[in-house]
Amino acid sequence: MTDRRRINGPPSGTRPAVFASSLKSASSISTGRPRRQRQPDELRKIFLKTGLIPSASGSAYLEFEPSASLAAARSNPQSLIPPSSALKLACTVHGPKPLPRSASFSPNVVLTTHVKYAPFAARQRKGHIRDASERDLGVHLETALRGVIVAERWPKSGLDITITILEAEDDRWWGDAPDSHDAPWGMMNVLAGCITAASAAIADARIDCLDLVAGGVAAIVSDESAEGETSTPKLMLDTDPAEHKSILSACVVAYMPSRDEITELWLKGDHSKASLGTTDQSLNHESLIDGAVNAARGAHTVLAEAVKESAERFAGLSTGANTV
Amino acid sequence: MATALPTLAIPGQRLGSIASYAAGPGTHVQNATIYASIAGPVVVDQAQPSSKAKLILSVSRTGPKKAAAPAPSTKASAKPATTGKPKLRYNTLPAVDSVVLARVTRVQKRQATVSILVVLDESASSQPLNPAQTTSDNDNIEAILSSAANPENHSNSDELRFQALIRKEDVRAVEKDRVVMDEMFRVGDIVRGTVISLGDQSFYYLTTARNDLGVVMARSESGNMMFPVSWKEMRDPVTGVAELRKVARPF
Repeated sequence: MTDRRRINGPPSGTRPAVFASSLKSASSISTGRPRRQRQPDELRKIFLKTGLIPSASGSAYLEFEPSASLAAARSNPQSLIPPSSALKLACTVHGPKPLPRSASFSPNVVLTTHVKYAPFAARQRKGHIRDASERDLGVHLETALRGVIVAERWPKSGLDITITILEAEDDRWWGDAPDSHDAPWGMMNVLAGCITAASAAIADARIDCLDLVAGGVAAIVSDESAEGETSTPKLMLDTDPAEHKSILSACVVAYMPSRDEITELWLKGDHSKASLGTTDQSLNHESLIDGAVNAARGAHTVLAEAVKESAERFAGLSTGANTV
Repeated sequence: MATALPTLAIPGQRLGSIASYAAGPGTHVQNATIYASIAGPVVVDQAQPSSKAKLILSVSRTGPKKAAAPAPSTKASAKPATTGKPKLRYNTLPAVDSVVLARVTRVQKRQATVSILVVLDESASSQPLNPAQTTSDNDNIEAILSSAANPENHSNSDELRFQALIRKEDVRAVEKDRVVMDEMFRVGDIVRGTVISLGDQSFYYLTTARNDLGVVMARSESGNMMFPVSWKEMRDPVTGVAELRKVARPF
C-alpha cells in the first residue's frame, strides 16, 4: 500500500543533475572519461589490514588505491560527481559457533556467506534487503572459500562470513549511457576484493585453510584512442571499468598460489570478435584466465604480508597477556 | 632437517617434508610435504623421549608456550584484573575425550543441560598425531570463569556457546541408579567434564563420572561462593549451610 500522507521520492534511484556551468566546456563531458595511467599488467595498490573488529573472531578491511583521475578530481574538483570510484570493503568472520537448533548434524563446518552493499556504496542507491546481485556475489564467494577451508576439522559448527561493501566499483563510466553489451563489470572487481579480504579474515580467525586464496581480475578491453576511434582489443589486469569505453570480456579467479589451483572461475562477456579480427593469439580464454591468475598472484603478496602481520600481532599479544 | 624452519608461518607455506617431521595441529599434508594451515608461530615438539619418533611440527594458535594457568577454583575474586585483557577467543571445538568447563543452564529429572565455556588442553598431548586435536587458550580460563561465575553475566549469550548434556547415568561411576539430579548440579554451577560423544545435531554429551570431574565452582542459595568439604557436599563460608553437589576433586 502506498503512503499517501507524505511526499515520497521517486521509487527508483535518481542521478544528480549536471549543471552546464559546472562543466568547463561542452566537450568536456565526452573527454572527461578517466584514462588508465597504469601499464596493462600493473595492478592498483591494495590496502589490507586484519583484526579491526574486536567482537569478531576474524576481520579484515580492504581498499583499492583510487585511480589517478579520482585523486586529481579530489584535489581539484571540476564537477560534483566523482569521475570514478575505488573499492572499499570490510569482512568479518564469526565462528566456529554452534549451529542453530533446527539445523541437522553436520560433520563439517557449515559455511554461510553474506555480501551486502552499503546503501551509499554505489551510484545507484542499494536497498537494505539483499538483492539478486548481492546474493549472487555471496554464492560466488562461498564457492571460492569452500575449496580452501579444511572443513572436516570443525564438525558441528558454523562459520559466518559477512562482507559489507562501503564503496563499490562502477560498472561503467557514469557519463556513458547503458548500452547493449553492458554488464555489471564492477561486480567482478568487487568479487575479487571480497575473496582477498575474506581470505585474510579467515586466516585472522585461525580457521584451517589449505592456502591463502586471492582474487584477481583480467579483462579484454577495446579502448577508444584519443581520436575517438576504437583501437585493437588488449588484455589488461585489474581493470577499472570506469576507465574503459567497452570491456569485451572479463574474468575473475580465486587462486591458491602454493598449490597452483583455482577454486572459483567466472568469465563474462564475448571476446570471439576480438580474437577473430586480429591475428593476435593472446586474446583467448586461456590468456584471459592466465591474466586473472597473475593479478591474483599480485594480490597474494599483499595478502601474505597482512596475514603475517596478524600472526605477529597475535603472538605478541599472547605473550603480553601472560606477563600481566 | 633439510631447510631452516620459519619462525612464523602463514597458511599454505611449505614447512618441511613428511620424511623428517610428523604433522601436528595447524598443519596439513599435501604430496608428502607438510604445509601450514593457520597463521602463527611454528612449534617443533618431541612426542616421546625415545629418539625413534619423528619431531612433531605444528603451528600454534596461542603464541609462545607459557606456564600453566592457575587452578580456577582459587581465583574467584580476580574479576577487576581481567577487564583489561584482550579479546577472548573461543576458537577450539570440543572433541571426544577433551576436558571442558561448562556452566549449568538447566537441571531436569534425567539430565542437566550445560553450555561449554572453554575447552581445556589435556588431550592434545595424549593424541599428538591427530591434527584435529586443537590446542586452546589456557591463558584466558581465569577471565572466562570469573566472568561466567558472576550472576550478572548470565546473559543470553548461551546460543553462541556449544550446548551439552550430562545424562543422569553419566554423573558418577558408582550407584548410578540412585542419582538425584537436583542433588548433583544447580543452575549456574561451573562443571568440569569430559566429552564422551559429539552427540546429535544440538548437544554434545559430557560425563562427570571420575573423581577429578564434577562441580568446581558453585554459589549457595544465599549467593556466596562455596567451598568443597567432601565428594558430595559444599559449604557456604558465611552461613555455614551445606549443599549437595557432585564435587570435583579440588586439586
